[in-house]
Amino acid sequence: MSDRVSDRVREIKGSGIREFFDIAQRMEGAISLGVGEPDFVTPWSIREACIFSLEKGYTSYTSNWGLLELRESLSDRIYKESGVYYEPEGEILITTGVSEAFDLALRAIVNPGDEVILHEPSYVSYKPCTTFAGGTPVCVDTGVEDEFKLRAEKLEEKITARTKAVVLSYPSNPTGATLGRKDLEAIADVVNEHDLLVISDEIYGKLTYEGEHTCFSSLNGMKEQTILLNGFSKAYAMTGWRIGYAAGNKEIIEAMMKIHQYIMLCTPITAQMAAVEALRSDDEVERMVSEYNRRRRLMVEGLREIGLSCFEPKGAFYTFPSVENTGLTSEEFAKRLLLEEKVVVIPGSVFGDCGEGFVRCSYAVSQYELKEALERMGRFLDNYLR
Amino acid sequence: MINPEKAGIDAVQALIELKVSPERNTGYDSVAERISRFPEVKSVRLVSGEYDLLIVVEGNTMKEVAYFVAEKIAPLEQVRNTVTHFLLKTYKENGEIYEEEEKGERLAVTL
Repeated sequence: MSDRVSDRVREIKGSGIREFFDIAQRMEGAISLGVGEPDFVTPWSIREACIFSLEKGYTSYTSNWGLLELRESLSDRIYKESGVYYEPEGEILITTGVSEAFDLALRAIVNPGDEVILHEPSYVSYKPCTTFAGGTPVCVDTGVEDEFKLRAEKLEEKITARTKAVVLSYPSNPTGATLGRKDLEAIADVVNEHDLLVISDEIYGKLTYEGEHTCFSSLNGMKEQTILLNGFSKAYAMTGWRIGYAAGNKEIIEAMMKIHQYIMLCTPITAQMAAVEALRSDDEVERMVSEYNRRRRLMVEGLREIGLSCFEPKGAFYTFPSVENTGLTSEEFAKRLLLEEKVVVIPGSVFGDCGEGFVRCSYAVSQYELKEALERMGRFLDNYLR
Repeated sequence: MINPEKAGIDAVQALIELKVSPERNTGYDSVAERISRFPEVKSVRLVSGEYDLLIVVEGNTMKEVAYFVAEKIAPLEQVRNTVTHFLLKTYKENGEIYEEEEKGERLAVTL
């Protein structure tokens, strides 16, 4: 058989820098600023709740929707934090991470050829997932001059008769950019006018260091238009548990559940049990957030001191400095930095063409590692900037 | 918060249970205050249960601590009995866990 792999999958380009990643994964003594997950271990109370649930014998399937207790706690939590009420029965679906929720959302709403607008630089899976779902990704570039915010005017330029949805992902991976209420309201106006859906991935929402995170569905009239995606990975340091959720209007959530019940059946019960406890243990979240904030300041200042221009990120745990003044492409910069000084950063081009000229540096590492990495990067830059 | 074991501090500490006879009018106070004055004694507490005072004594060696108890504490008129527990290892102190912060095994690159 010659066509073992489907055309749809074959057409997705494998990442060209996989080789670089392989070297990075294996290099001894490297400091990695290339990580996209917290360096904290899941808080003990959450792990303990999971262990206890296993001791009690909670090892079975749950409802396709997820444990009702968890959906109820989430409903309360979302209402308390953003003033939007989602019914625990019918408007909330527990998923195996936001990754699954994102895939379900697209598959639930996209017809072949429908366009989905994404802002770049962005998380790597939005584009291929759109293609897998049969949609056509349409990218809007955001730039450092706009602090990597998606501007309503730029969004509007890309809207056509085929546009079905807009993906919003703020605070942003990889830039650390956030959108304020005014920015979001301008986007909401455009969405309203053109009757679009919004998939709002707010996984980094709790990691907002200046101002408050605004939930997109809390804006006037947006609840019906928005599929809110969020989870426990980043704020509660639970990446490996794979648990997230989608909240939105009944029709869409029901459609997502239809897919979820056939492909996933339900999210593992152990993760759901842990998540119930997570919603009770916010002290730890506050502690982690204030530690990230300290490191954020340390890193932005450090990068500027060694000669890189760095936009001030206000959310997530990434900085996105420009490396243009070195005369290197972002991929070359990352490769040489790894080989010469053993520091891993991610070339911005991975996150879209407009990420070229930047690198993503994660500050989800200890302050000690951060300082050491900055020192090594400073040494490296001395050779290129003088 | 310093973990003395890691800092290479070799001081020896012991928890010592004391059964004492309370005195008329002052109860346990006078003997507790008397014991508190020794610089070797780091803390003195009146507790409920099998014995009366729980004190912490620090010295350079086990012998030094043992002699201190035998020579200064046990002979006191009100002290009826002593039980000495040398501290071997501290796992948590004043709310701080002494072991390294837990680190998960993360991959060097995740997007």
